[in-house]
Amino acid sequence: MIRKSSSRSGGLLDGMLFVLALAAAAAFFFGGENATDYPWQWYRIPRYLVERSVDGWRWGPLMQGMGLTIALSGVSLVLSCTIGITAALMRLSHSIVAAAISRCYTEFIRNTPLLVQLFFIYFVLGPIFDIPKTTAAITALSLFEGAYAAEIIRSGIAGIDKTQWESAYSLGMNLSQTYRWIILPQAVRRVLPPLTSQAVSLVKDSSLVSAIAVADLTLQGQIIIADTFLTFEIWFTVAAMYLIVTTSLSAAASRLEVRMDRSLRR
Amino acid sequence: MRLDPSFRYRRIHRLRRCFTRWSRLDTILLTILVTTMAAVGWIVAIRLQYRWNWPTLLEHVLRFDPNTGSLVPGALLHGLATTIRLSIWAMLAATPIGLAIALLRSSRKRLCRWISRTFLELVRNTPPIVVIFIGYYFFSERLLSLFAVTDPLQDLPESILLWIEAGFGPRPHLPAFLSATASIAVIEAVYIAEIIRGGIRSIDHGQIEASEALGLNRLQQLRYVILPQVVRTILPPLSGQFVSTIKDSAIVSVISIRELCFQGTEIISATYLHFETWITVTLMYAVLTFTLSYGISRLERRVKKHSGSALFDKRMTRE
Repeated sequence: MIRKSSSRSGGLLDGMLFVLALAAAAAFFFGGENATDYPWQWYRIPRYLVERSVDGWRWGPLMQGMGLTIALSGVSLVLSCTIGITAALMRLSHSIVAAAISRCYTEFIRNTPLLVQLFFIYFVLGPIFDIPKTTAAITALSLFEGAYAAEIIRSGIAGIDKTQWESAYSLGMNLSQTYRWIILPQAVRRVLPPLTSQAVSLVKDSSLVSAIAVADLTLQGQIIIADTFLTFEIWFTVAAMYLIVTTSLSAAASRLEVRMDRSLRR
Repeated sequence: MRLDPSFRYRRIHRLRRCFTRWSRLDTILLTILVTTMAAVGWIVAIRLQYRWNWPTLLEHVLRFDPNTGSLVPGALLHGLATTIRLSIWAMLAATPIGLAIALLRSSRKRLCRWISRTFLELVRNTPPIVVIFIGYYFFSERLLSLFAVTDPLQDLPESILLWIEAGFGPRPHLPAFLSATASIAVIEAVYIAEIIRGGIRSIDHGQIEASEALGLNRLQQLRYVILPQVVRTILPPLSGQFVSTIKDSAIVSVISIRELCFQGTEIISATYLHFETWITVTLMYAVLTFTLSYGISRLERRVKKHSGSALFDKRMTRE
């Protein structure tokens, strides 16, 4: 009771202290650099976001990189969901070979680093199947996230009550009808929140494609740093740009989770 | 037990023999698989005319030194050792940080919750590669020069230096290794914090109320009631996080830490053995993580068995 009544003034105090703590952290990061004579040149950053050319304004390299990052993530997200559903259904199917393929795929992908997979696909499968680097990047990302999506979808389907299968059977539905009308609509509700947070991981993991010279946000940052030595300014800007994308996705994920939770409980 | 609803549904009254399950789908998939493999083999052998050179690569894994007459580990095994070292130290550093964040997050003070939440979201929503780049410059330029880690090392006796080299790798690479470890530790700490917080939340609220009724303060509650129970539940996911750490540690190759992935790129730039190297590196990671995963699943089974039995509770009451 006492705690509750003091919570409003306490909230204000907490808020002020919080801002103070943030300021202290910022001073530690930014101000402390003066001691080692790091020349902060934030004024040079905007031109890498938006630049002026002869025919008006256009996006600078960082924004172009972010565009590529979002495009890569978007394409990979769609592909990884497709792969995920296929692998999950194969794993749950009664076919031995399908289950074995799916099992091998998910286990192998989940037990090796994405960077190594990226190199493997680009340097080993690349020459064999004649894959250009952007396609290699998308392939690696989709295969990687697809394995995680498969596990999420599989557990979503497996979590559905056995009686649902049995009642569908007693209604005379066949397998594809059961999936289409009974199982998948219920699974989607369970699966959507974790899949959204997987999308956040996808955006984060897409930064690794810079290792095979795909000009995403991270690589653009690295290129600018190599030219200008604005190490900290550029990395903080790049981090902030990623944060904007991922936190908005995270927020969407948590809101979705709350809504799905409510609808599941009903 | 198989988690196989469709199987159960379709053949609910049938014998579940393996051979009755072979269907047309199996044949089709097997044909596709074999055809693809044959096509890959054909392309590699005929169209690319790839000349396999496994002996050269083997020298980078393990080679025979004629001078000493013993086997000497090559670059890849050194890289593997660095990967393992890095992961172990990062995990050891990340666990206390994670614990601190988790405790702050489940604290009663709003300020503590906000600060930990901000840190958590900042690290979790930034790509690891960016965290590692920032951490690398930050740690190596600021913290290490601040504490001057490498300076006092010169005065240490040779025997201790050997121990340090065994634990942290060669001395010239020590500052880079430490900043990479610190960056990885920060990244993993966030996930560990979530694991520990989940463990704390899974504890029955009655336990906390009971300990409050016994007059324990917050620290005593944590020490005697909460953490002993949390440890049991979080041990399996925590060791799973160790496997993730090994996988995530591949990223530090971008800042030229000489771990497995980096050694792979180095060997390729020297020998151009693309296929052999990447196959070997991938397999090395896979073997390492599969072994660990297997151990963890056994551990998990044991934890489950023991927490399910009355043995533990009986011992508690007797004491």
